[in-house]
Amino acid sequence: MLGRLMKYEWNATWQLLVPANLLIVVMTIFATVTVRLDVFDTDNEGIVFSALIIMLSYVGSMLVVIIGTAIYLIHRFYTSTYGDQGYLLHTLPVDKHHIIIAKVLVSTAWVMLSFLLMYMSVQILFNEEGDIFTQIIENVKVSAMLWAGAEDVSVFAIIMTLIAGLSAMFARTLKITACISLGQLSNNHKVLSAFGIYFLIYIVQKIVNGIYYVILGYINTITADWHYGKSWEYVLITSLIYSVGFYLVTWYIMEKKLNLD
Amino acid sequence: MAPIVQCMGLTKRFGSKTALNQIYLNLERGRIIGLLGPNGSGKTTLIKIMNGLLTPTAGDILIGGLRPGIDTKYRISYLPERTYLQPGMKVMEIVQYFQDFYPDFRVDRAYDMLARLQIQPYERIKNLSKGTKEKVQLILVMSRDADLYILDEPIAGVDAASRDYILHTILQNYNRNATILLSTHLISDVENILDEVVFIRCGNIILQAGAEQIRQNEGKSVDRFFREVFAC
Repeated sequence: MLGRLMKYEWNATWQLLVPANLLIVVMTIFATVTVRLDVFDTDNEGIVFSALIIMLSYVGSMLVVIIGTAIYLIHRFYTSTYGDQGYLLHTLPVDKHHIIIAKVLVSTAWVMLSFLLMYMSVQILFNEEGDIFTQIIENVKVSAMLWAGAEDVSVFAIIMTLIAGLSAMFARTLKITACISLGQLSNNHKVLSAFGIYFLIYIVQKIVNGIYYVILGYINTITADWHYGKSWEYVLITSLIYSVGFYLVTWYIMEKKLNLD
Repeated sequence: MAPIVQCMGLTKRFGSKTALNQIYLNLERGRIIGLLGPNGSGKTTLIKIMNGLLTPTAGDILIGGLRPGIDTKYRISYLPERTYLQPGMKVMEIVQYFQDFYPDFRVDRAYDMLARLQIQPYERIKNLSKGTKEKVQLILVMSRDADLYILDEPIAGVDAASRDYILHTILQNYNRNATILLSTHLISDVENILDEVVFIRCGNIILQAGAEQIRQNEGKSVDRFFREVFAC
């Protein structure tokens, strides 16, 4: 049943999110042409103004797509799980684990796709020479180096950095599903409760990060090896712990505490 | 054979409000049962618990001897009081959806009923009127060969002609060995098809009796008896 749930989740979301992601592609083409033609160097104010509008539209569309995608997916999870459509979803003879996995996998895939497109868009726009994919790998390497606080990193560390980033993305999606689910425990103001819980969890996560930095600072004073970046190990471990926790909370509420209005 | 529904001390509270108060109820197989009560009496709460959409505060409920879960969802065909269809889907896509998830779904029966009502399969749900959406949902629910059909207010909010069609559809298409639990406050429209009635008031079951038994014992229709019992 997991495959079927994923198929319908994908079908329900692609009609809006494919055009949204196509907008990134189209705006990237316009913006790249504008930058490559050096239109800002001309004295013609009309052309410069038009170029400015294109670049502003490019930045605006990026923001709209990334924020819009997040809001749409959150709204979709809420309405299809705890809204009217939840009446159909929760009366299907399917395991609650499958429901959560299908929704989280599809949502995270969309977020990843949007981020990837946006990242490649910026690379294409500002990459004046060289292979774009080599440049992307180089950037991931730099990120891994910053995380590790090292001057060079192995291929293994680069791969683990990517996996850690992916885990963090899943943890973020599951955090939202857990907050919305916890909000359902409230008799009134379910959405407001979900926001409040999200804020509380955010604070707790910041405190955990703070403790990490204090420990890291202490280690640094001992080893005299100064770096304050989050290592992939830290991101991976915390993301996995958070993911498992948020997943279990979501599952428990759907399985044992479901109360649809 | 065990009753299709067994409620044992079933209680549901929302904060300080008690929606169901220690209900004991058995519903037998092969019957058409009316769950009758005024608005806010607890009908929908009881139905939602049967379908696993609400968690009881106390007590127990068994559907065919099982607690609400995946296995009971294979057996129950549920029509809620609200539209649960995804607006962007086409009618034929939602038919496919039901076929994919319910092994007892009869596609030919669904398309036959859709054709009779002249509902186009390629029409999107969001373009249908409220009444047509309700009819599509009813068609989907009645196209299953379930053990228990739970229909929550299936005739509320539709015109008289549609009511006749809905009741006709229910009677023509249900699995004869199954039980139909039909919740409504519009008694006169359904009285003639009911084998049994359950009166519910303020979360309490106040009567469970055969429809014919009420007519004989009380010398009046179930509708009239209901009006007397629930007189304000």
